Amino acid sequence: MDLLQNIALGFSVAGTPFNLLLAFVGVFLGTVIGVLPGIGPMTGVALLIPICFGLPPSSATPGESSSVVTCLDGHEMAKQGRAGPALAAAAIGSFVAGTFATIMLMAFGPFLAQVALKFGPPEFFALMVMGLTVVTSLAGRSMLKAIFSTLLGLAIAMVGIDLQSGVQRFTFGNIQFMDGIEFLVVAIGIFALTEVFINIAELKNPKEVSMEKIKGGLWLTKDDWKRFWPSSIRGTLSGFFVGGVAGAGAAVASFVSYGIEKRFSKHRKELGTGAIEGVAGPESANNAAAGGSLIYLLCLGIPGSGTTAIMLGALMMFGLQPGPLLFTQQPAFVWGLIASMYIGNIMLLVLNLPLVGLWVKLLKVPEYLLTLFILIFSFLGVYTMNNSVQDLFLMVIFGIIGYGMKRADVPAAPIVLGMVLGKQMEEKFRQSMVISDGSFGIFFSRPIAVAFLIIAFMSITNPYWKPAFLAIKKLFTRSKAAV
Amino acid sequence: MTLSRQLENAIPSRSGLYMEFPMARKVAKREERIASVIMTVFAAAYFIGTFFLIPHPTIKQQVGPDAFPKAVGIILILVSVAYMIQQFRGYVKEADEKRAAIIGADEKVETKADLKTMGIMLALMFAYVFLFDFLGYALTTFLVFIIGAIVLDHKHLRRDVIVAFVASFGLYFVFSLLLRVQLPAGPLSLLGL
Repeated sequence: MDLLQNIALGFSVAGTPFNLLLAFVGVFLGTVIGVLPGIGPMTGVALLIPICFGLPPSSATPGESSSVVTCLDGHEMAKQGRAGPALAAAAIGSFVAGTFATIMLMAFGPFLAQVALKFGPPEFFALMVMGLTVVTSLAGRSMLKAIFSTLLGLAIAMVGIDLQSGVQRFTFGNIQFMDGIEFLVVAIGIFALTEVFINIAELKNPKEVSMEKIKGGLWLTKDDWKRFWPSSIRGTLSGFFVGGVAGAGAAVASFVSYGIEKRFSKHRKELGTGAIEGVAGPESANNAAAGGSLIYLLCLGIPGSGTTAIMLGALMMFGLQPGPLLFTQQPAFVWGLIASMYIGNIMLLVLNLPLVGLWVKLLKVPEYLLTLFILIFSFLGVYTMNNSVQDLFLMVIFGIIGYGMKRADVPAAPIVLGMVLGKQMEEKFRQSMVISDGSFGIFFSRPIAVAFLIIAFMSITNPYWKPAFLAIKKLFTRSKAAV
Repeated sequence: MTLSRQLENAIPSRSGLYMEFPMARKVAKREERIASVIMTVFAAAYFIGTFFLIPHPTIKQQVGPDAFPKAVGIILILVSVAYMIQQFRGYVKEADEKRAAIIGADEKVETKADLKTMGIMLALMFAYVFLFDFLGYALTTFLVFIIGAIVLDHKHLRRDVIVAFVASFGLYFVFSLLLRVQLPAGPLSLLGL
């Protein structure tokens, strides 16, 4: 029983007292950051990474990965200002989905990694193209701007010494640019400092934050349970599909699940008024999608969302290259990570229900103090990476760029994705060209690569299908009329 | 806001999202036009840069170090020019809004920027960067926190000073002494800390 052995290995890694403590700290900080207004999950994860630097990778990851899960959850919870049983339903829904996703990851992860081991450079290049385009196609309002953002990430990734030829690119002779621009500098600048600028604008015209008081019992009644299960299971399945197969992020999964509930639930009329189904479904979907995209990340090294992109960057900084080889080379790490995510889920459940009161109080921290804390943590985090003041300067510059992008409504997550994948993508492309001796045909003669590229093409062109179809139809009807 | 309301708000009726705020619409339009020009200029600069900032390697390769950046540059130009044309021709946003609702995109920033406060905070950030090594982590952070608090809210000075003190020196001690992460000590090193 390989599977059981692996699980045992994972829990033995994640279950040491020290790692459990770190997972606890991770869950706690993750929830704090998630609940606090004005800090999104991506900012939260980016800010938490530097804290892990003092720790060995096998210990840092439990804290990190469990906080990722909770960041997402806490954020959703705070955004929706839930009351009583709804909070409980959300927590239990996440737990159910987290369990399912973890089991699927344990069952299918190694298998997928086996398949991926057979991939050559052309397949990997096509896979990365697909990863980038799928995420790009799901980011932001305008597809053009999302593509621009992804390319900007690729462009930034090109800075530094080119590993294949040893040539310096875009370094302007600056020694620190030779290693390239650290992705955390960009991520913290674009997410955290941009958050600071936006908060400044909002401090002057404060938004009304409606908070529902927590009334009555927290626990679900028998009737609630009956309604909880079907929608939670529906949410889990759809979320896992969206996250694991389509590679889309958690937000998409929540919306899809909400739509499903609206259609299939017996109590669909109550949706939108705080019905259990409206909470259990999306919350389960959200978590299952996070688990699903983690499968992508660990097995293929392709992040499915902004948050997993930041995680990938963090893993790479610890010297771990996610991908099919990780399962065979670092089994303790992979299974430890999976087990600690699961432990994080359980802790979340244990921690959140009794501490709801505390989280609500946390929302009362004045916003200007929060803003300043984001500011000083950003500086602390970026400095501790390389002890470099130049990095701090760059971070501020990216903060300004990030704010400009936010105002122009250019999505920021694809930049991080492009940065994290850029170097590898170029490497795989060039390796493929060496194999084929400079012919592009290599990408079209291998069935798996072709399949990836077709999916990539479809995902990026899908907004234009309908207009194109209509135009063709019009063309035909008109020509008919002419005859 | 509940999910359902978010969903319903996000799919605007025929009237469109901006119809109720003609001013906001104008500002957003102008900002997007400016952004599209900046994006195009950047794309062009990047593409031109690939010719001057990437030297030729001595080894001959199938694909040299400049090919990938050039490809990125060309697509950047295509995309940003397309976006610019779209903006200057008066693009209808309804399709975008529907898309945003389906994928759950972030809400737009529509509050007017408070340029003065933002400028001060930006200057503060740069001061933070340049004083970081000189004054050390703890002192600089303390100063930045207090000045920031005064700029953003000047009503609770005593509380802010206490918070700033605990945050800056507390973080410094936790990181440099407990976690052994190197942070610049600045004048504090004279005290042997």
